[in-house]
Parts: sequence; structure tokens; C-alpha cells
Amino acid sequence: MKIDCSIDGRTLTLSLNSNKPLSLILSENIGDGSAVNHCKGQMCGLCAVLVDGKPMLSCMVPAFEIRGKEIITFEGFQKTRGMKDIEKAYEMVGAAPCPDCYESKTMIFESLISDGVSEPDEILKELSIIRCHCLDPEDAVKIVLKGIDIRRKRRVRRS
Amino acid sequence: MYEGLSSPNIHTPHNMAEYSSIITHYPSSTLWAGGTFIMTRPDAYPSKVMNAEVIYLGEIEELHRFQRNDRFAEFGAMVTLDEVMSAGKAVLPKVLTDNIMEIGSKLITRRATIGGAICTKELTTSFPGTLVALDANVEVRIIKKKRLHSRWLQLTRLLDRNGTIVLPPQSMISRVRIAFSDKNCQFFRSVGALMTSPEDSMAVAFTASLDQDVLNNPTIAFTYPNHGILYSRDIDNVFSSLRFPLDEREFRSLEMIIFTFIDSTFQELSPLQKVRTRGVLRALVDELNEKTLTMPSQM
Repeated sequence: MKIDCSIDGRTLTLSLNSNKPLSLILSENIGDGSAVNHCKGQMCGLCAVLVDGKPMLSCMVPAFEIRGKEIITFEGFQKTRGMKDIEKAYEMVGAAPCPDCYESKTMIFESLISDGVSEPDEILKELSIIRCHCLDPEDAVKIVLKGIDIRRKRRVRRS
Repeated sequence: MYEGLSSPNIHTPHNMAEYSSIITHYPSSTLWAGGTFIMTRPDAYPSKVMNAEVIYLGEIEELHRFQRNDRFAEFGAMVTLDEVMSAGKAVLPKVLTDNIMEIGSKLITRRATIGGAICTKELTTSFPGTLVALDANVEVRIIKKKRLHSRWLQLTRLLDRNGTIVLPPQSMISRVRIAFSDKNCQFFRSVGALMTSPEDSMAVAFTASLDQDVLNNPTIAFTYPNHGILYSRDIDNVFSSLRFPLDEREFRSLEMIIFTFIDSTFQELSPLQKVRTRGVLRALVDELNEKTLTMPSQM
């Protein structure tokens, strides 16, 4: 099956099995180093990517569903200004996710920051998909709030 | 890896007429809603079935509709649980919103659909049990003599003796209707991870109207993901016959009656599921006791 999609800003035409999970497409077909091993639906939460701006577990997205979609992986995201905002937030709060879940948590933080989610319960619920408890819940909320603040200030400066 | 294997054929109907013609041609095809169940199976990829046919329902506009009036809310089968929450959080029964909140992260609820949650071969959420407790109705679309027929049924009527939801062959659920409830006692508890450790988890959904010290129209549904849903009018009748608050002796006898029903339906509940059921029953009775004692008396 031929599938057209955009991964990290590159428009690609891929020849794939129609039900191949996106997590495997990224690691095997694209050679994305940040893509983690395929957990086979155990919901480890470590394979989050942004599909049309929304975070999704890439192991749950089949190839046929990515047709025409814009996918941003951590590898692509770390070159953007958005990543700098999140790194700055990590630095200001004095806490950051551990290397195991860094990519996935950062992608979820990005979606929360860009949606302006400031409700602590909602933030923690969204992060609850990742089983790694390296980050204190209070710090996780602070990171999102700080990230929203940094992004707002950057936008004001630009305008 | 596995690229040499045959790839399932994906059919993407845009309306129910197209769906009808595809399902007539390929009667054994797999229906794909949100994919949260299929993609989490160990054999999801590579597919073991050669020449598999998959019908992706995401493009059928009719299945994404949501409408409501002053009596009920009606959801298309492809409405996601996240959309259910955002569309009707203020009006939907508390037990339903509590259940969706309990399912977890939006990364799951954004993909899981209301129809898919009911139709999966194994229970992965407590959602169908809650719909049973709410006496929800579903529209079943079925192919008969190459034509698509529609029928509204109570979800409880689709439950078989083993507590699993059984749909007729070549049929699908297209809409779910949930009546707005004026019941003042709504209780939902889920213990354990239903998706990842079904053998240890369970959930209870309970609705009733508490009038002074008696319950009117109580409905209770127990969900054991590795077994099925336990719903019985007899258990509901036991609850209607009680006068609250219950003391310890009355609670023990209620617990015994309920466990008799559970043991007669599901013989192989794990010890942890039994302990968790006891704990949740205790929490339910405590809440009902508290409600009875704090309710203002009517003169």
C-alpha cells in the first residue's frame, strides 16, 4: 500500500503494509533514532508523537490512518523553537524527565503548552499514560505553566 | 521487517450505502473504529490472516454525529470518548462522565470510540457496563438479504448468559442513545488497569433514586474484563428491598447474595477480583448509608 504523509516536515510516499504501526514505520522505514521499541500495545506511553498537532501513541496508529497527516517526531521537534521553550521551562523549574521518557513527555508537554492547558488535573491526566514516575507531579504542572508563560512572552515580543 | 507479508485490504466507505455494499462483498471483514483494541493485541502486526479485509469506519460522516434533546443524547458509533466528554459533560449522567475520566489519558480517550468500546471481542474498558447500568439503547445495523436494516435495542438485550455483548453476524452498532437520568445516586468505581491487566481488575456502575431510606429503580452492573458484564434484575431487586442505612450484619448478607450471583455466572474470578469487588461494594454501601443519613427529611 502506498501512503503519502509528512514526517518532520518532509513529504514522503511510503510503500508499507497497511496495518503497520507508526512506531515501527518510524524506526524501521524512516530510521528515526528517537523512536522507542514497539511495546506491542502494553501502553508504556513512550512512543508519543504529534499527529496533526495532537499527541498520539505511535504504536496505536496504523499506516492507513497516517495518509495525508502531518507527523512530528521528537527528532524533528527538537530542532524547533518550541523545544527551546520547553528546555527553558525545564531549566527554570529545575526538573526534567529522565532519559527513558524524555522524548515522550516532551512531546506531551508541547501539546499541553500549545493548547494552553493550565488545569493541573488535566495536565496530570494527560501525562498519566507514561508509567515512568521520574517527574514530581507538582514539577510537571509547573513545567507546563512555565512553558505557556514563556511562549506567550515570545509571541508578544514577536508581535 | 514483515514487508513481504500480505497487507490487509483497507476499505474506506464514506456513507452507510457504501459500507453495506462492502460488507456484502466481504462478509468476514474486520470493522475498524478507533483501533485501540485491535492495535493492542499481541498479534495485531504482522497480521496472521492472509488476505484480511478491513473496513475503516472513520470516514462515514453519519457515525460522527452527536445530537441531543431534553430527554436523551444520541452519539454516533465513531464519536470518541473525548468528544462524548466535551459534548455533554454538563448534561450526561455522572456515572458516565466518571467512567470516561477513569479511563485515563486523553491519548487513549481521543482514539477510543463509543461504538468500538461496546463491540470489541474482549472488554477493554468498563464503558459497556456503565451503559448497561444506564439502560442505554443502541441502533444495530444488520445486513439481511443484501439490504441494510436498522433496529433499536436495549444494550442489556445484547448481553448473553456469559456476560458478553453478542451482535448478530454482519451487523454493527451505529448509534448509542443515553437517556438523561434524574437518579440522585450514581456511583462508579474501577479498580486495576482494565486494558493491561484484565485478570485482576474490575469495575462497578450503579444508579438509583434514593427516596428517604429506599432505592427506586436501582441498576448495578459489574464488569470483569476477562469474563464479561454481570447484570441481573435479581440483584437490582435485592437493592430495592433494602432499607438504608445498612448495619454490618445486613451488609454481610447483601455481600453474600451478590457473591452467589457472581459465582454462578463467572466461576473463575481471580482472588484479587473478589477482594476488589468486596471493597467496591463496601464503598458503595458506605456512600448510600452516608447519603441516607445526610438527606434532609421530607415533612
